Amino acid sequence: MPKITYIEFNGRKHIVDAAPGLSVMECAKQNGVPGIDADCGGGCSCGTCHVYVDPPWQARVGGRNAIEDATIEFASGVEANSRLSCQIKLTDDLDGLVVRLPESQR
Amino acid sequence: MSSIGVASERAAFAGSVRNPRLEPALERAGIDPRRIRLGAFPMNAVQETKLDWDPYNPDYFRDPHSVFARLREEAPLYHNERYGFYAVSRYADVERCMGDWETFSSARGDILEMIQANFPVPRGSFIHHDPPLHTAYRKVLTRVFTPKRMAALEPQIRQFCARSLDPLVESGEFDFIANLGAEMPMRVIGMLLGIPEEDQVAIRERVDANLRTEQGKPMDYSKTTKMGEGFEGYIDWRVSHPSDDLMTALLAVEFEDETGAARRLTRDEILVIVNIIAGAGNETTNRLIGWTGKLLAEHPDQRRQIHQDRSLIPQAIEEILRYEPPGPAVARYVTRDVEFHGSTVPAGSALVALVAAANRDERKFPNGGQFDIHRKRLPHLTFGYGFHNCLGNALARVEGRIALDEILNRFPEWDVDLDRGYLSSTSTVRGWETLPAYTPKAREGRRNRGPVAETSMATGPTSPPAPEPAPAGAERWHVTLQTPMGPQEMTLHLVRDGDTVTGRIDSPMGSEALKNGKIAGNTLTWIMEVKKPMSVKLSFEVQVQGERMTGHAKLGVFGKARLEGQRLAG
Ligand code: HEM
Repeated sequence: MPKITYIEFNGRKHIVDAAPGLSVMECAKQNGVPGIDADCGGGCSCGTCHVYVDPPWQARVGGRNAIEDATIEFASGVEANSRLSCQIKLTDDLDGLVVRLPESQR
Repeated sequence: MSSIGVASERAAFAGSVRNPRLEPALERAGIDPRRIRLGAFPMNAVQETKLDWDPYNPDYFRDPHSVFARLREEAPLYHNERYGFYAVSRYADVERCMGDWETFSSARGDILEMIQANFPVPRGSFIHHDPPLHTAYRKVLTRVFTPKRMAALEPQIRQFCARSLDPLVESGEFDFIANLGAEMPMRVIGMLLGIPEEDQVAIRERVDANLRTEQGKPMDYSKTTKMGEGFEGYIDWRVSHPSDDLMTALLAVEFEDETGAARRLTRDEILVIVNIIAGAGNETTNRLIGWTGKLLAEHPDQRRQIHQDRSLIPQAIEEILRYEPPGPAVARYVTRDVEFHGSTVPAGSALVALVAAANRDERKFPNGGQFDIHRKRLPHLTFGYGFHNCLGNALARVEGRIALDEILNRFPEWDVDLDRGYLSSTSTVRGWETLPAYTPKAREGRRNRGPVAETSMATGPTSPPAPEPAPAGAERWHVTLQTPMGPQEMTLHLVRDGDTVTGRIDSPMGSEALKNGKIAGNTLTWIMEVKKPMSVKLSFEVQVQGERMTGHAKLGVFGKARLEGQRLAG
């Protein structure tokens, strides 16, 4: 089971076991990680599950898809490593993934 | 939802017999052709056997969901030959339409009648642009509509709700639309755009005055949601009086247009954008508030849970949005042959994506036909998907949640009076235009008082208002308006009095009063506000020459329609 680390804007860490097949967003919701609202429920249409992928993981996680690119405009503080966490599917490959939460989602 | 547009008159007309040659005969026979609706004939009635979804048949307005369920199962690619469109109803198909703009283009509009009419989309009407033009405008606006910024509006939104609801607590009788849906979203947009509160009130009062002059007719609350006029003035004023509102931001923003050039928005672009936002953000949210009132009245157990645990509000609003989407469909123009379920939709077709059907697709939502605020959260398509997904979704969510919270603070329980309510379904929104409600205490009071003298808002469940007799002394004119939707015929009743003119226009859509009517020599001018299928203001200017009139009507941002009229005897 992949382990995911979420780091809140205030620095608090949440290390959770993720069931493969879930998205990084769903995994956060299931484990009560604060700061990921996901208003739209995973539809890539609200921009409220924004995360920064820790740079060492960027290549493996991959970049934004076209629709995500359009939707992420809703989020503030978008950087090159910004992703909408509903669009990152968890696989065993991502065991150890670290994502940080933005200031706007405190 | 999309927003402005000339009313798809064709939509409204389609439900009636339109036969110009037949009509004079009917009139001579004393039959009002407007009263003959195709719905009265078996060929158009809701049939049990043959699957025929007629979007213009009012029999479907109250419950489109049973026919949608059949479409999903029996005709996942539906072709309506009579009106010449295709429709998809399954979740995956609707999502596909919205996510692939290269095949399913918005550039001819996102409403069926608009696509079919193929009239030019004004620049800046980004809901009707494809990338990269769409992207250029959208990027400018998304920054203004971030979830964080919208959440920061909470205190003002609560205040607007309080202002609307507090005066009603005592009586325990209120109308979800008139008292809240038509007020709060309008104020919020007004605030965002930076329209000074005093002026909002002035707009409001003018609208109210209009309502008063139409005593005896069903009140048209939807008019109060419109603020289209007067934006020009604010734009110019804001140039010299910058503030921290959206209008100022639009004036100041430098953006990269689709050619890659960095520039400011033009005044015309700002005007179009502001109209899109006002048009898209008012009526939709208004309808959401109405559906909240109706659905929770029907599910008092779930309402009680929400009342006790307000943290359930966000998921309750999502379930309401899923179950009864204020905008039940969007449409796209098909740019290349595309296959659905083994059949081809040819390039050049208009395709309707049935959001309301997709939202109950069992393939995505188990027990989709059940209203359950506790269901597993999955994305509904009520705010669209992909490039055009609702710019105002964060705002609409905040408004919906706060409205529910503030309603529950004052009215933990309520009943709705659906018989006195009025539900309409246009090409863009479906929902309540009037939804009277009362608390259990008020119901007791009503019983004791005996039958209440119903106010003028009372109309039959889905019946359109009955036409009134023509005003006394009125001239009657048969008028043809060459709209982008094709020629529209109507009867004009005019009463000239000095340099003013009053009266009304009857069309199969209903009757609308002439407002602001003036006479200068042979020239008559007036405005008319239609609300179906979309709110739009028409400004008329005609020259009268004996028994004939010629002129035009300006249709919002969609240009002019030529008008010709012939005076009728009597
Ligand atoms: C419950 C309320 C609302 C609903 C159901 C709704 C629904 C929708 C839908 C379905 C679309 C996509 C149309 C398409 O794909 O062709 C859309 C787009 C849009 N909405 Fe909303 N909307 C709501 C509230 C608002 C509010 C409050 C605003 C603004 C303040 C707004 C502004 C817009 C704009 C500007 C677009 C066009 C976006 C684009 O084309 O990029 N909406 N809305």
